[in-house]
Amino acid sequence: MQTDWIWALIGGGLIGTAAALYLLVNGRIMGASGVVGELVDGSAGRNWAEPAAFLAGLIGVPAALAWIIGGADTHLTDALWPVLLGGVMVGLGTRLANGCTSGHGVCGISRLSLRGIVATLVYIGIGAACMLALRHGLGLI
Amino acid sequence: MRLLFAALAGSIFGTGLLLSGMTDTVKVQGWLDFFGNWDPALAFVMGGAILPMAVAWRFTPNRQPVLGGAFPGRPSTQLDTKLIGGSVLFGMGWALTGLCPGPALASLSWGGTGGLLFLAAMLAGMWAAPMVRTRLDGVAARGYSSKMDIRPISPAYAVSPQIAPEDMPAIVAAGFKTVLCNRPDAEVPPGLQAAAIGAAAKAAGLRFVENPITHQTLAQTVAPQYAAMAGSDGPVLAYCASGTRSSIVWSLGQAKLQPADAIIAATAKAGYELSGLRAQLDELAKG
Repeated sequence: MQTDWIWALIGGGLIGTAAALYLLVNGRIMGASGVVGELVDGSAGRNWAEPAAFLAGLIGVPAALAWIIGGADTHLTDALWPVLLGGVMVGLGTRLANGCTSGHGVCGISRLSLRGIVATLVYIGIGAACMLALRHGLGLI
Repeated sequence: MRLLFAALAGSIFGTGLLLSGMTDTVKVQGWLDFFGNWDPALAFVMGGAILPMAVAWRFTPNRQPVLGGAFPGRPSTQLDTKLIGGSVLFGMGWALTGLCPGPALASLSWGGTGGLLFLAAMLAGMWAAPMVRTRLDGVAARGYSSKMDIRPISPAYAVSPQIAPEDMPAIVAAGFKTVLCNRPDAEVPPGLQAAAIGAAAKAAGLRFVENPITHQTLAQTVAPQYAAMAGSDGPVLAYCASGTRSSIVWSLGQAKLQPADAIIAATAKAGYELSGLRAQLDELAKG
């Protein structure tokens, strides 16, 4: 659609604004995998409330918005194996690499962090290679 | 207050993810499909997000977050197996499903059973990560394990056998301000050479000085060693293969400052038997 990129720009701007707010006010780097991960593996310790509040907003507000606009769709595949395998890979990978699209991609690249730039190039490169192999090569996804 | 702003940041983040299309796996997979029917829209998400954040980073030097505390320190520049391997795994999982952690959470309410299963699998992966990380660290350290054994010779100077990059937190905790490398790079594998140790030391906030000693160059290394010690705003930890060279160079520099007996006693207490230096120390004390 023609308007896709406008929404992408607006949405991206909001994502960046949220990251800037979390940094300037709370002094933290906004990374989705870090926020959830430190709650899951217990590394947040006694500082669990801040990431938990962040999560509440991250889950609650889109839920309300989706309800107002009459529903949204992730168009996630119905096949079970990519969902389970992909989920484990995303969870394990982002925690090993210490960041995902928001942490490395947005917060890292914006401060020209070498690790952030390298990680982003790697996951996008590998992602594209997987699309090529699985969609056009094997026709799996 | 912190919680309020954390929730607000989460809310704006979630709204941005929904509006931008990041929660739509068809769009994400379309964006990763560079070699097929490529959908460029998500590049605008990245660009739109990086811009405000780049401005925010420019405000951070020499300032404090509004609600107190400190801004994150300078990012590490260490590219290791975990960063690369983790990003490879993440890239594969992302392509497979079209979901990354943020959107997986934001779409929880409308993602259906598939979304819940993805989230459960993702949380399981995150839960397992610390174990995998420990295992990988063990493999990386194999073959060049640390031999660190901090032996104080004076209140301002301690020596140790070969240290490793992962020793830095312990060195900081012990109160040292400078790490002094007395071992030539030719003696050790790359993971233990001055560049690797120095990078780890600087990342931990320590000063790092290189002053490699061989038995031929011993005499010329005394002055640089003491210059490095004088330039440190706290105790210095010097290392070589066993700590002997670092002890000898210290002893030679003390020759004019205290009697040979006291010097030899100080290094002996640290475990270095240097009474063979007595004649040389007496000579230096006179000269």
